[in-house]
Amino acid sequence: MNKTVNQKAWLFVIPVFILVAFNAAVPLMTVVNYSFQETFGNNVFTWEGTRWFKQILRSDRFHDALGRQFLFTGIILLIQIPLGIFIALTMPKKGIGVSVCLVLMSMPLLIPWNVVGAMWNIFALPEIGFLGHTLNDLGFDYNFTQQIGDAWFTTVLMDVWHWTSLVVLLSYAGLRSIQPAYYQAAEIDGASRWAVFRHIELPKMKKVLTIAILLRFMDSFMIYTEPFVLTGGGPGNATAFLSIDLVKMALGQFDLGPAAAMSLIYFFIVLLVCWVFYNLMMRNEEQK
Amino acid sequence: MIIIPSNKVMLLGWESVSESREKGFFDFEFITWMAWTWQTAVFFIFIALCLVAMVLWEKKVPGGTPRRGLLGLDTTRGDRLFISLLSSAFIHLAWLGIVGSILWIATIISIGFAVVVFRYF
Repeated sequence: MNKTVNQKAWLFVIPVFILVAFNAAVPLMTVVNYSFQETFGNNVFTWEGTRWFKQILRSDRFHDALGRQFLFTGIILLIQIPLGIFIALTMPKKGIGVSVCLVLMSMPLLIPWNVVGAMWNIFALPEIGFLGHTLNDLGFDYNFTQQIGDAWFTTVLMDVWHWTSLVVLLSYAGLRSIQPAYYQAAEIDGASRWAVFRHIELPKMKKVLTIAILLRFMDSFMIYTEPFVLTGGGPGNATAFLSIDLVKMALGQFDLGPAAAMSLIYFFIVLLVCWVFYNLMMRNEEQK
Repeated sequence: MIIIPSNKVMLLGWESVSESREKGFFDFEFITWMAWTWQTAVFFIFIALCLVAMVLWEKKVPGGTPRRGLLGLDTTRGDRLFISLLSSAFIHLAWLGIVGSILWIATIISIGFAVVVFRYF
């Protein structure tokens, strides 16, 4: 069969092309240009070669921020994924409870990031916040603005509150797509609850869970607004994750060159992880 | 009441950045603003040429010769180019972080690795 060749469709790509050029390609190119130069403003740049890259790659500050970032992302994945699956498993499968649960679950996802940060900031303040005050009344020495452990606890708790629902909704969608025949077969075989989970539900959820892990990894790896509003990266630099540290460097110190080099390194890490997940998803697709 | 920690207050020298020139709406000095240097321009031209070469290659041998390579991944030509470019970024960064000087050795390693990727991955 001969296909008719019609190149008019390219015209429809032009708006997207312009959009991508201006919101992705041009800024990215500019960042690459900045990363090799030094500036003090007024569009005057001097060539610095690979100096900023060397400086960033060897600086303890960057290593610490990267370490904190991976630790944070690791912790929230370890909490949110199992917790999300567990909640999805306990959610009702029919009746009015389904809508109630789904609406309740979606609520945190609809709140803007900075509002989440502000809410948790007030909620956790040791003097007046409900959480902070209660914890102190119970005898815990809790103050997230001064103690590193408390700052981490609050940040992780906030993220778990904000984003576990996403994992729940995805897992629930995965669970609902399992045919009843599988459960009936399991029942006939006398399979235990664990066996049903391990051999029916988990394999069937594999695809959505890969997406859930990818989304949660990316969001938490690029997290900025919530910890910025909640702790501002403090106390000290204890919760200064990569993006917070980056903005401090770029805007706080106006070190555009090093900040550009750091964002490129950051970008390559994100790109690598994306690629790994993309391949995992493709492999899942194939096995199906 | 929210107490704003002092580290959130950022005093910037923005006044000096914007004051000097009076500009019209379309007079935004695209090239100066993007801070181009010939080195970065060469880099992006190289990337663009890679993409053009891929298009020409696709015209000549369509389908992208998909195969299952060393890593057990199904890759096409485009995937292999992406792997080569991304790994060359990491090779250069690792070289800068660990060794620091004579960067062109990292470039040679990257090219060698790219050849391996295109052959066997």
